[in-house]
Amino acid sequence: MKRKPFTIFKAVVKALVLREVQTRFGSQKLGYLWAIIDPMAMIVVFSFIKTIISHASMPGIDYPVFLATSFLAYNLFKNISLRSMDAFVANKGLFVYKQVKPFDTLVSRAIVESLIIGVATIIFICIGLYFGFDMEVKDLNMVILGFLWIGIFGFGLGVLFAVIGTFYENFKKIISLMFLPLFFLSALFYTVENLPPIARDIVLFNPVVHFIEFIHGSFFPELDTNYVDFTYMAFWTLIPFFLGLWLYTKSERKIVMS
Amino acid sequence: MIVLENATKYYKMKNEKKYILKNVSLTIPGGINVGILGRNGAGKSTLLRMLGGIDFPNSGKIYSDKRFSWPMGLAGGFQGSMTGRQNVKFVCRIFGKSQKEIDEAVEFVKEFSELGEYFDMPIKTYSSGMRLRLSFGLSLAFDFDYLLIDETLSVGDKHFKEKSKKALREKIEKSNVLLVSHAMPILRELCDAGIVVHDGQIKYFDNIDDAIKEYNQINR
Repeated sequence: MKRKPFTIFKAVVKALVLREVQTRFGSQKLGYLWAIIDPMAMIVVFSFIKTIISHASMPGIDYPVFLATSFLAYNLFKNISLRSMDAFVANKGLFVYKQVKPFDTLVSRAIVESLIIGVATIIFICIGLYFGFDMEVKDLNMVILGFLWIGIFGFGLGVLFAVIGTFYENFKKIISLMFLPLFFLSALFYTVENLPPIARDIVLFNPVVHFIEFIHGSFFPELDTNYVDFTYMAFWTLIPFFLGLWLYTKSERKIVMS
Repeated sequence: MIVLENATKYYKMKNEKKYILKNVSLTIPGGINVGILGRNGAGKSTLLRMLGGIDFPNSGKIYSDKRFSWPMGLAGGFQGSMTGRQNVKFVCRIFGKSQKEIDEAVEFVKEFSELGEYFDMPIKTYSSGMRLRLSFGLSLAFDFDYLLIDETLSVGDKHFKEKSKKALREKIEKSNVLLVSHAMPILRELCDAGIVVHDGQIKYFDNIDDAIKEYNQINR
Protein backbone atom coordinates (compact mmCIF):
# COMPACT_ATOMS: atom_id res chain seq x y z
CA MET A 1 0.00 0.00 0.00
CA LYS A 2 1.66 3.19 -1.20
CA ARG A 3 0.93 6.45 0.59
CA LYS A 4 0.51 9.67 -1.36
CA PRO A 5 3.42 12.13 -1.09
CA PHE A 6 1.20 14.67 0.64
CA THR A 7 0.02 12.08 3.17
CA ILE A 8 3.66 11.28 3.97
CA PHE A 9 4.47 15.01 4.19
CA LYS A 10 1.68 15.55 6.71
CA ALA A 11 2.70 12.54 8.81
CA VAL A 12 6.35 13.65 8.81
CA VAL A 13 5.61 17.28 9.69
CA LYS A 14 3.34 16.17 12.53
CA ALA A 15 6.03 13.82 13.85
CA LEU A 16 8.66 16.57 13.57
CA VAL A 17 6.47 19.11 15.37
CA LEU A 18 5.89 16.69 18.25
CA ARG A 19 9.61 15.90 18.31
CA GLU A 20 10.54 19.59 18.38
CA VAL A 21 8.08 20.34 21.15
CA GLN A 22 9.41 17.43 23.24
CA THR A 23 13.10 18.16 22.80
CA ARG A 24 12.66 21.85 23.62
CA PHE A 25 10.86 20.92 26.78
CA GLY A 26 13.37 18.28 27.73
CA SER A 27 16.71 19.91 27.12
CA GLN A 28 16.11 23.48 28.19
CA LYS A 29 13.06 24.21 30.24
CA LEU A 30 13.70 27.92 29.72
CA GLY A 31 13.06 27.33 26.01
CA TYR A 32 9.38 28.12 26.31
CA LEU A 33 9.64 30.60 29.13
CA TRP A 34 12.05 32.58 26.99
CA ALA A 35 9.25 33.31 24.54
CA ILE A 36 7.65 35.36 27.33
CA ILE A 37 10.74 36.66 29.12
CA ASP A 38 12.43 38.09 26.03
CA PRO A 39 9.63 40.42 24.84
CA MET A 40 8.69 41.17 28.45
CA ALA A 41 12.21 42.38 29.23
CA MET A 42 12.17 44.55 26.09
CA ILE A 43 8.85 46.07 27.07
CA VAL A 44 10.09 46.90 30.56
CA VAL A 45 13.38 48.36 29.30
CA PHE A 46 11.87 50.53 26.59
CA SER A 47 8.95 51.65 28.75
CA PHE A 48 11.52 52.74 31.32
CA ILE A 49 13.61 54.61 28.75
CA LYS A 50 10.45 56.27 27.52
CA THR A 51 9.52 57.60 30.96
CA ILE A 52 12.99 59.16 31.28
CA ILE A 53 13.01 60.82 27.85
CA SER A 54 9.28 61.37 28.09
CA HIS A 55 8.15 63.42 25.16
CA ALA A 56 4.58 62.74 24.29
CA SER A 57 5.09 61.52 20.74
CA MET A 58 2.34 58.94 20.90
CA PRO A 59 -0.61 60.51 22.65
CA GLY A 60 -3.44 58.19 23.49
CA ILE A 61 -1.44 54.99 23.15
CA ASP A 62 -0.43 52.71 25.98
CA TYR A 63 3.24 52.40 25.15
CA PRO A 64 3.69 48.90 26.66
CA VAL A 65 0.90 47.63 24.38
CA PHE A 66 2.63 49.26 21.42
CA LEU A 67 5.87 47.50 22.40
CA ALA A 68 4.12 44.16 22.94
CA THR A 69 2.72 44.12 19.40
CA SER A 70 6.17 45.10 18.07
CA PHE A 71 8.18 42.45 19.82
CA LEU A 72 5.71 39.60 19.36
CA ALA A 73 5.58 40.24 15.63
CA TYR A 74 9.31 40.84 15.35
CA ASN A 75 10.17 37.69 17.34
CA LEU A 76 7.84 35.64 15.17
CA PHE A 77 9.68 36.87 12.10
CA LYS A 78 13.15 36.56 13.62
CA ASN A 79 12.66 33.13 15.19
CA ILE A 80 11.17 31.56 12.08
CA SER A 81 13.84 32.89 9.74
CA LEU A 82 16.83 32.42 12.07
CA ARG A 83 15.93 29.04 13.51
CA SER A 84 15.43 27.59 10.04
CA MET A 85 19.15 28.08 9.42
CA ASP A 86 20.18 25.19 11.63
CA ALA A 87 17.14 23.01 10.94
CA PHE A 88 19.02 20.82 8.46
CA VAL A 89 22.02 20.25 10.71
CA ALA A 90 19.89 19.63 13.79
CA ASN A 91 17.76 17.03 12.01
CA LYS A 92 20.49 15.43 9.96
CA GLY A 93 20.17 12.14 11.82
CA LEU A 94 16.58 11.84 10.68
CA PHE A 95 17.33 12.02 6.96
CA VAL A 96 18.26 8.34 7.13
CA TYR A 97 14.52 7.83 6.74
CA LYS A 98 13.73 8.70 3.16
CA GLN A 99 10.28 9.94 4.17
CA VAL A 100 11.89 12.86 6.00
CA LYS A 101 12.73 15.60 3.50
CA PRO A 102 14.86 18.53 4.68
CA PHE A 103 12.07 20.93 3.68
CA ASP A 104 9.75 19.23 6.18
CA THR A 105 12.06 20.28 9.00
CA LEU A 106 11.67 23.94 7.93
CA VAL A 107 7.90 23.67 7.89
CA SER A 108 7.76 22.01 11.29
CA ARG A 109 10.10 24.57 12.86
CA ALA A 110 7.98 27.43 11.51
CA ILE A 111 4.87 25.78 12.95
CA VAL A 112 6.50 25.32 16.35
CA GLU A 113 7.71 28.95 16.44
CA SER A 114 4.23 30.16 15.49
CA LEU A 115 2.66 28.05 18.23
CA ILE A 116 5.09 29.43 20.80
CA ILE A 117 4.43 33.05 19.79
CA GLY A 118 0.71 32.26 19.73
CA VAL A 119 0.79 31.08 23.33
CA ALA A 120 2.97 34.06 24.32
CA THR A 121 0.43 36.40 22.71
CA ILE A 122 -2.43 34.89 24.69
CA ILE A 123 -0.45 35.27 27.92
CA PHE A 124 0.34 38.91 27.06
CA ILE A 125 -3.33 39.62 26.39
CA CYS A 126 -4.20 38.17 29.80
CA ILE A 127 -1.54 40.29 31.49
CA GLY A 128 -2.80 43.36 29.65
CA LEU A 129 -6.38 42.73 30.72
CA TYR A 130 -5.30 42.15 34.31
CA PHE A 131 -3.44 45.45 34.52
CA GLY A 132 -6.13 47.28 32.62
CA PHE A 133 -4.10 48.45 29.61
CA ASP A 134 -5.96 50.02 26.75
CA MET A 135 -6.10 47.24 24.18
CA GLU A 136 -8.80 48.44 21.90
CA VAL A 137 -8.07 47.21 18.38
CA LYS A 138 -8.97 49.27 15.33
CA ASP A 139 -9.08 46.43 12.81
CA LEU A 140 -8.51 42.98 14.26
CA ASN A 141 -8.62 41.17 10.90
CA MET A 142 -5.82 43.35 9.55
CA VAL A 143 -3.74 42.78 12.69
CA ILE A 144 -4.14 39.02 12.28
CA LEU A 145 -3.26 39.33 8.60
CA GLY A 146 -0.18 41.31 9.59
CA PHE A 147 1.00 38.60 11.96
CA LEU A 148 0.34 35.82 9.44
CA TRP A 149 2.08 37.76 6.70
CA ILE A 150 5.19 38.57 8.70
CA GLY A 151 5.35 34.86 9.62
CA ILE A 152 5.18 33.82 5.97
CA PHE A 153 7.76 36.49 5.12
CA GLY A 154 10.04 34.99 7.77
CA PHE A 155 9.47 31.50 6.42
CA GLY A 156 10.35 32.51 2.85
CA LEU A 157 13.58 34.11 4.02
CA GLY A 158 14.20 31.09 6.24
CA VAL A 159 14.04 28.69 3.29
CA LEU A 160 16.54 30.81 1.40
CA PHE A 161 18.84 31.20 4.44
CA ALA A 162 18.72 27.48 5.21
CA VAL A 163 19.71 26.40 1.70
CA ILE A 164 22.51 28.94 1.28
CA GLY A 165 23.71 28.30 4.83
CA THR A 166 24.15 24.60 4.04
CA PHE A 167 26.83 25.40 1.51
CA TYR A 168 28.40 28.51 3.06
CA GLU A 169 28.95 28.19 6.77
CA ASN A 170 29.91 31.90 7.05
CA PHE A 171 26.59 32.94 5.60
CA LYS A 172 24.82 31.96 8.81
CA LYS A 173 27.12 34.19 10.86
CA ILE A 174 26.58 37.13 8.51
CA ILE A 175 22.81 36.79 8.75
CA SER A 176 22.94 36.55 12.54
CA LEU A 177 25.04 39.72 12.61
CA MET A 178 22.59 41.53 10.35
CA PHE A 179 19.82 40.93 12.84
CA LEU A 180 21.56 43.12 15.42
CA PRO A 181 21.07 46.47 13.64
CA LEU A 182 17.71 45.25 12.34
CA PHE A 183 16.40 45.42 15.87
CA PHE A 184 16.92 49.17 15.95
CA LEU A 185 15.88 49.80 12.35
CA SER A 186 12.50 48.06 12.38
CA ALA A 187 10.20 50.68 13.92
CA LEU A 188 9.74 48.50 16.97
CA PHE A 189 9.80 51.21 19.65
CA TYR A 190 9.03 54.24 17.51
CA THR A 191 6.88 54.99 14.50
CA VAL A 192 8.18 56.07 11.10
CA GLU A 193 6.16 59.26 11.54
CA ASN A 194 8.28 60.15 14.61
CA LEU A 195 11.49 60.09 12.60
CA PRO A 196 13.09 63.03 10.80
CA PRO A 197 12.37 62.87 7.03
CA ILE A 198 15.83 61.65 6.01
CA ALA A 199 15.75 58.82 8.53
CA ARG A 200 12.29 57.87 7.27
CA ASP A 201 13.52 57.33 3.72
CA ILE A 202 16.39 55.19 4.93
CA VAL A 203 14.41 53.09 7.36
CA LEU A 204 11.71 52.39 4.77
CA PHE A 205 14.19 50.33 2.75
CA ASN A 206 13.93 47.77 5.53
CA PRO A 207 11.02 45.48 4.64
CA VAL A 208 10.40 44.62 8.30
CA VAL A 209 9.41 48.26 8.96
CA HIS A 210 6.48 47.95 6.57
CA PHE A 211 5.15 44.85 8.34
CA ILE A 212 5.49 46.42 11.78
CA GLU A 213 3.90 49.70 10.65
CA PHE A 214 1.09 47.70 9.05
CA ILE A 215 0.39 45.93 12.34
CA HIS A 216 0.68 49.15 14.41
CA GLY A 217 -1.47 51.12 12.00
CA SER A 218 -4.17 48.45 12.05
CA PHE A 219 -4.07 48.02 15.81
CA PHE A 220 -4.09 51.57 17.17
CA PRO A 221 -6.87 53.99 16.25
CA GLU A 222 -4.36 56.84 16.67
CA LEU A 223 -1.96 55.48 14.04
CA ASP A 224 -2.23 54.89 10.31
CA THR A 225 -0.60 52.80 7.59
CA ASN A 226 0.41 55.70 5.33
CA TYR A 227 4.03 54.61 5.06
CA VAL A 228 3.21 50.95 4.32
CA ASP A 229 4.06 49.79 0.80
CA PHE A 230 2.18 46.57 0.16
CA THR A 231 3.92 45.93 -3.16
CA TYR A 232 7.27 46.11 -1.41
CA MET A 233 6.03 43.64 1.22
CA ALA A 234 4.75 41.22 -1.44
CA PHE A 235 8.06 41.50 -3.27
CA TRP A 236 10.01 40.59 -0.13
CA THR A 237 7.63 37.75 0.64
CA LEU A 238 7.61 36.10 -2.77
CA ILE A 239 11.13 36.60 -4.17
CA PRO A 240 13.13 35.01 -1.31
CA PHE A 241 10.57 32.22 -0.97
CA PHE A 242 10.60 31.17 -4.62
CA LEU A 243 14.33 31.71 -4.95
CA GLY A 244 14.78 29.56 -1.85
CA LEU A 245 12.44 26.87 -3.19
CA TRP A 246 14.23 26.83 -6.53
CA LEU A 247 17.64 26.46 -4.91
CA TYR A 248 16.20 23.85 -2.57
CA THR A 249 14.81 21.61 -5.31
CA LYS A 250 18.17 21.80 -7.03
CA SER A 251 20.09 20.85 -3.93
CA GLU A 252 17.71 18.65 -1.92
CA ARG A 253 19.73 15.51 -2.61
CA LYS A 254 22.96 17.21 -1.66
CA ILE A 255 21.42 18.31 1.63
CA VAL A 256 20.24 14.77 2.36
CA MET A 257 23.67 13.32 1.53
CA SER A 258 25.79 15.98 3.24
CA MET B 1 13.61 -7.15 -8.26
CA ILE B 2 16.20 -4.41 -8.06
CA VAL B 3 17.51 -2.87 -11.25
CA LEU B 4 20.70 -0.86 -11.70
CA GLU B 5 20.87 0.89 -15.06
CA ASN B 6 24.20 2.42 -16.08
CA ALA B 7 24.59 3.46 -12.49
CA THR B 8 27.65 5.54 -11.71
CA LYS B 9 28.57 6.76 -8.28
CA TYR B 10 31.76 8.44 -7.25
CA TYR B 11 33.17 10.59 -4.51
CA LYS B 12 35.45 13.47 -5.34
CA MET B 13 38.76 13.01 -3.61
CA LYS B 14 41.45 15.67 -3.77
CA ASN B 15 42.27 15.39 -7.45
CA GLU B 16 40.59 12.23 -8.57
CA LYS B 17 37.22 10.60 -8.51
CA LYS B 18 36.89 7.53 -6.37
CA TYR B 19 34.39 5.26 -8.09
CA ILE B 20 31.97 3.13 -6.12
CA LEU B 21 29.97 2.19 -9.20
CA LYS B 22 31.25 2.70 -12.71
CA ASN B 23 28.50 2.37 -15.28
CA VAL B 24 26.96 -0.69 -13.65
CA SER B 25 23.94 -2.42 -15.16
CA LEU B 26 22.60 -5.31 -13.16
CA THR B 27 19.36 -6.96 -12.20
CA ILE B 28 19.04 -8.55 -8.79
CA PRO B 29 16.10 -10.97 -8.81
CA GLY B 30 13.40 -10.56 -6.17
CA GLY B 31 12.42 -12.90 -3.38
CA ILE B 32 15.91 -13.87 -2.32
CA ASN B 33 18.28 -12.83 0.44
CA VAL B 34 21.42 -11.20 -0.82
CA GLY B 35 24.74 -10.89 0.94
CA ILE B 36 26.93 -7.93 0.01
CA LEU B 37 30.67 -8.47 0.11
CA GLY B 38 33.57 -6.17 -0.49
CA ARG B 39 36.61 -4.69 1.12
CA ASN B 40 36.41 -1.75 3.48
CA GLY B 41 35.69 1.38 1.48
CA ALA B 42 34.55 -0.53 -1.60
CA GLY B 43 31.13 1.11 -1.35
CA LYS B 44 28.94 -1.50 0.29
CA SER B 45 27.37 0.97 2.68
CA THR B 46 26.88 3.53 -0.08
CA LEU B 47 25.10 0.89 -2.13
CA LEU B 48 22.78 0.16 0.78
CA ARG B 49 22.12 3.87 1.26
CA MET B 50 21.25 4.24 -2.41
CA LEU B 51 18.82 1.33 -2.17
CA GLY B 52 17.33 2.92 0.93
CA GLY B 53 16.66 6.12 -1.03
CA ILE B 54 18.93 8.42 0.95
CA ASP B 55 21.88 8.49 -1.42
CA PHE B 56 21.81 8.87 -5.16
CA PRO B 57 23.94 7.82 -8.14
CA ASN B 58 25.73 10.61 -10.00
CA SER B 59 24.28 9.24 -13.23
CA GLY B 60 22.17 6.32 -14.29
CA LYS B 61 19.35 4.80 -12.29
CA ILE B 62 18.70 2.45 -9.43
CA TYR B 63 15.09 1.41 -9.06
CA SER B 64 12.77 -1.13 -7.56
CA ASP B 65 9.09 -1.32 -6.73
CA LYS B 66 9.85 -2.93 -3.38
CA ARG B 67 9.73 -1.31 0.03
CA PHE B 68 13.11 -0.97 1.66
CA SER B 69 13.88 -0.35 5.28
CA TRP B 70 16.24 2.44 6.25
CA PRO B 71 19.83 1.25 6.21
CA MET B 72 20.50 -0.17 9.62
CA GLY B 73 24.04 0.44 10.60
CA LEU B 74 26.18 1.53 13.45
CA ALA B 75 25.88 5.19 12.53
CA GLY B 76 22.44 5.45 14.03
CA GLY B 77 19.56 7.30 12.43
CA PHE B 78 18.50 8.47 15.82
CA GLN B 79 18.22 11.89 17.34
CA GLY B 80 20.61 11.98 20.29
CA SER B 81 18.57 14.33 22.44
CA MET B 82 15.46 12.16 22.23
CA THR B 83 14.87 9.08 24.35
CA GLY B 84 14.63 5.60 22.87
CA ARG B 85 10.88 5.67 23.32
CA GLN B 86 10.53 9.05 21.59
CA ASN B 87 12.63 7.86 18.68
CA VAL B 88 10.51 4.74 18.25
CA LYS B 89 7.35 6.83 18.31
CA PHE B 90 8.84 9.27 15.83
CA VAL B 91 9.67 6.57 13.31
CA CYS B 92 6.23 5.00 13.73
CA ARG B 93 4.62 8.37 13.04
CA ILE B 94 6.55 9.07 9.86
CA PHE B 95 5.47 5.65 8.61
CA GLY B 96 1.87 6.66 9.31
CA LYS B 97 1.09 4.14 12.05
CA SER B 98 -2.05 4.62 14.15
CA GLN B 99 -1.86 5.33 17.87
CA LYS B 100 -2.70 1.69 18.66
CA GLU B 101 0.01 0.42 16.33
CA ILE B 102 2.47 2.89 17.85
CA ASP B 103 1.74 1.60 21.36
CA GLU B 104 2.24 -1.98 20.19
CA ALA B 105 5.50 -1.12 18.42
CA VAL B 106 6.81 0.72 21.50
CA GLU B 107 6.06 -2.31 23.69
CA PHE B 108 7.67 -4.67 21.21
CA VAL B 109 10.85 -2.63 20.79
CA LYS B 110 11.16 -2.09 24.54
CA GLU B 111 10.88 -5.81 25.10
CA PHE B 112 13.20 -6.81 22.28
CA SER B 113 15.94 -4.27 22.84
CA GLU B 114 16.28 -5.15 26.55
CA LEU B 115 17.24 -1.55 27.28
CA GLY B 116 15.38 -1.41 30.58
CA GLU B 117 15.48 2.06 32.09
CA TYR B 118 17.65 3.30 29.27
CA PHE B 119 14.62 3.11 27.00
CA ASP B 120 13.52 6.40 28.57
CA MET B 121 16.95 8.01 28.50
CA PRO B 122 18.33 10.21 25.71
CA ILE B 123 20.01 8.18 22.97
CA LYS B 124 23.25 10.10 23.41
CA THR B 125 23.77 8.26 26.70
CA TYR B 126 23.68 4.89 24.90
CA SER B 127 26.63 2.71 24.06
CA SER B 128 26.94 1.68 20.41
CA GLY B 129 25.66 -1.77 21.32
CA MET B 130 22.55 -0.27 22.90
CA ARG B 131 21.87 1.92 19.88
CA LEU B 132 22.15 -1.14 17.75
CA ARG B 133 19.68 -3.11 19.82
CA LEU B 134 17.19 -0.26 19.55
CA SER B 135 17.75 0.13 15.82
CA PHE B 136 17.40 -3.56 15.16
CA GLY B 137 14.34 -3.97 17.34
CA LEU B 138 12.72 -0.98 15.68
CA SER B 139 13.23 -2.36 12.19
CA LEU B 140 11.54 -5.60 13.21
CA ALA B 141 8.40 -3.67 14.11
CA PHE B 142 7.81 -2.81 10.45
CA ASP B 143 6.98 -4.85 7.38
CA PHE B 144 9.43 -4.23 4.60
CA ASP B 145 10.09 -6.20 1.44
CA TYR B 146 13.79 -5.75 2.09
CA LEU B 147 15.66 -5.12 5.29
CA LEU B 148 18.90 -3.26 4.66
CA ILE B 149 21.39 -4.35 7.26
CA ASP B 150 24.92 -3.05 7.54
CA GLU B 151 27.25 -5.17 9.67
CA THR B 152 25.02 -4.95 12.68
CA LEU B 153 24.82 -8.67 13.29
CA SER B 154 28.45 -8.97 14.23
CA VAL B 155 28.23 -6.49 17.08
CA GLY B 156 26.79 -6.92 20.54
CA ASP B 157 27.15 -9.68 23.06
CA LYS B 158 26.63 -13.34 22.29
CA HIS B 159 23.18 -13.47 23.80
CA PHE B 160 21.90 -10.58 21.70
CA LYS B 161 23.59 -11.86 18.55
CA GLU B 162 21.78 -15.16 18.88
CA LYS B 163 18.52 -13.43 19.64
CA SER B 164 18.74 -11.09 16.65
CA LYS B 165 19.72 -13.91 14.31
CA LYS B 166 16.72 -15.87 15.45
CA ALA B 167 14.43 -12.85 15.01
CA LEU B 168 15.88 -12.23 11.58
CA ARG B 169 15.33 -15.83 10.51
CA GLU B 170 11.67 -15.47 11.46
CA LYS B 171 11.46 -12.15 9.69
CA ILE B 172 12.90 -13.39 6.40
CA GLU B 173 10.17 -15.93 6.07
CA LYS B 174 8.01 -12.98 5.04
CA SER B 175 10.51 -10.43 3.81
CA ASN B 176 14.02 -10.42 2.39
CA VAL B 177 17.30 -9.09 3.55
CA LEU B 178 20.21 -7.27 1.95
CA LEU B 179 23.05 -7.91 4.31
CA VAL B 180 26.48 -6.32 4.42
CA SER B 181 28.83 -8.41 6.49
CA HIS B 182 32.37 -9.64 6.81
CA ALA B 183 31.23 -12.66 8.79
CA MET B 184 31.05 -15.52 6.32
CA PRO B 185 29.10 -17.92 8.57
CA ILE B 186 26.32 -15.38 8.96
CA LEU B 187 26.24 -14.73 5.23
CA ARG B 188 26.11 -18.46 4.46
CA GLU B 189 23.37 -18.97 7.00
CA LEU B 190 21.04 -16.15 6.00
CA CYS B 191 21.72 -15.40 2.34
CA ASP B 192 20.95 -17.25 -0.87
CA ALA B 193 22.78 -15.09 -3.38
CA GLY B 194 25.66 -12.68 -3.09
CA ILE B 195 27.13 -9.63 -4.76
CA VAL B 196 30.72 -8.58 -4.61
CA VAL B 197 31.55 -4.88 -4.82
CA HIS B 198 35.05 -4.26 -6.08
CA ASP B 199 36.81 -1.56 -8.10
CA GLY B 200 33.63 0.20 -9.21
CA GLN B 201 32.04 -3.00 -10.44
CA ILE B 202 29.40 -5.26 -8.98
CA LYS B 203 29.33 -8.99 -9.65
CA TYR B 204 26.23 -10.98 -8.92
CA PHE B 205 26.31 -14.66 -7.93
CA ASP B 206 23.27 -16.90 -7.68
CA ASN B 207 24.97 -18.80 -4.94
CA ILE B 208 26.42 -17.10 -1.88
CA ASP B 209 29.27 -19.63 -1.76
CA ASP B 210 30.46 -18.50 -5.20
CA ALA B 211 30.34 -14.88 -4.04
CA ILE B 212 32.44 -15.76 -1.00
CA LYS B 213 34.94 -17.57 -3.25
CA GLU B 214 35.23 -14.51 -5.47
CA TYR B 215 35.67 -12.27 -2.44
CA ASN B 216 38.45 -14.48 -1.15
CA GLN B 217 40.12 -14.27 -4.56
CA ILE B 218 40.11 -10.48 -4.34
CA ASN B 219 41.58 -10.54 -0.87
CA ARG B 220 44.38 -12.88 -1.74
